[in-house]
Amino acid sequence: MSASYLAYIDAGTGSLLLQALAGGAAAVAVFAKVYWRRLKRLLRIGQPEEEGPQT
Amino acid sequence: MVIAEGRVFRLLADRGLADWRALSSLPLFTELVQEAKLVETREAVDVPAALGLVSANAAGILEHDVLPFVSYPYEWTFGMLRDAALLQLELVRRSVNAGLILKDSSPYNVQFHGATPVFVDVGSFETLQEGEPWAGYRQFCMLFLYPLLLEAWKGVPFRPWLRGRIDGITPAECRGLLGWRDLFRRGALTHVVLHSKFERSLGASDRDLNRELKAAGFHKELIVANVTRLERLISGLRWSPAPSAWSEYGPTTTYSQVDAERKTKFVADAVAEEGPALVWDIGCNDGTHARLAAETADYVVAMDADAVVVDQLYEQLKSEEAKKVLPLTLNVADPSPGLGWRGRERRPLQERGSPDLTICLALIHHVSIGGNIPVAEFLDWLRSLSTALVIEFPTQDDPMVKRLLARKRPHDHPDYQREWFERSLSERFDVVRSEKLSSGTRELYFARPRA
Repeated sequence: MSASYLAYIDAGTGSLLLQALAGGAAAVAVFAKVYWRRLKRLLRIGQPEEEGPQT
Repeated sequence: MVIAEGRVFRLLADRGLADWRALSSLPLFTELVQEAKLVETREAVDVPAALGLVSANAAGILEHDVLPFVSYPYEWTFGMLRDAALLQLELVRRSVNAGLILKDSSPYNVQFHGATPVFVDVGSFETLQEGEPWAGYRQFCMLFLYPLLLEAWKGVPFRPWLRGRIDGITPAECRGLLGWRDLFRRGALTHVVLHSKFERSLGASDRDLNRELKAAGFHKELIVANVTRLERLISGLRWSPAPSAWSEYGPTTTYSQVDAERKTKFVADAVAEEGPALVWDIGCNDGTHARLAAETADYVVAMDADAVVVDQLYEQLKSEEAKKVLPLTLNVADPSPGLGWRGRERRPLQERGSPDLTICLALIHHVSIGGNIPVAEFLDWLRSLSTALVIEFPTQDDPMVKRLLARKRPHDHPDYQREWFERSLSERFDVVRSEKLSSGTRELYFARPRA
């Protein structure tokens, strides 16, 4: 009910990743997979990722 | 958002209009409005041309039902913020199940209609992109969860923190406030400790985490799982304050039964005579007179500086599903200012509607002696509200006044005299009638602002 200037929020990178821990066992699996994929990319195992190169 | 001629409009851009149409066509929307959880909203018709909204660069205009009085989380009690948080979580959960999401999580999107929380920002709903996490989670923690944890776990009121910063408490700040024993409490490790760690280590990362999560198989059930856990955590939070100076005031007051009845009748007569739309009861205590006023008035804002009594009042009103009394924690000697960008995002108390009648019972000695506000200053402020007034003046012989004066040096408050009060009152107001209570140390006045 009040004026809101630019009501867009910063979701926060850390906060997004945390949600892959806060949702129980199935979520933890997603969390692990994020890091597994990063590791694979680092070791250049498998196909190049669709995300493209990471910094 | 445009407020004009007593109506509330919202201008939508193309994308907002598409989101609104997606929302309003769902059964969820009708259900939420019927359950009074979402403010009644429709596409505006007969928008007055004089407002210039039609010609503005908007794809559509919505109109919301008007809520009687806007309040902010730094004026709410623990129970109010908890119930607003549970409403927010319920909306996220039900939206996700219906293929939508709320893009932010701000308690400023919740308003209270009496003791019922209502979500007022239909612009928050948008279509959920499969595989994306809940973008509003961080904001939920900063503005709902951490303030509640602070009060429930540490006994520290959240109101000064929320009033101090419009964005709330950061994960790192919340982490810094917890002791080692708190770390064993439900939710502390995930929502506070790890959250703050992740934020520190990933804060500067420019990875596209949304894409990474999606590729790793993140799905909407995980949002629902997180939200359900948060609902359980928050439902279990309890605030157990020590009894305050005022929480026992109602039942143990020193008033005689006769005086209490005379006071009640005096207020009832004034309300009946004045027929006010909006009443403010400042220093409402257990809400006796606010409830009385609500029998006649359209709406009563019941304020007290003591969060304990206001929280008790809120819980009672909630159990009665009362819609005409809005309880707020507010110290009239230090009322809510304008906050945010240019001080205009959150409005000061008195810009949110002016009362037709203000009740100040057993208050002026606290403001004047306790709060060091000169008697005439306080009356000036009341006069600036252009409100009729029911005000009680306890003399220097009153036991409560004596107690307050005993903490001060002699002659600290030379203006706290009945003669000076009456003179100052009649310079600003026309006194309709006054009545001395049988205790002999208290007098009631009913007055209207002088032209």
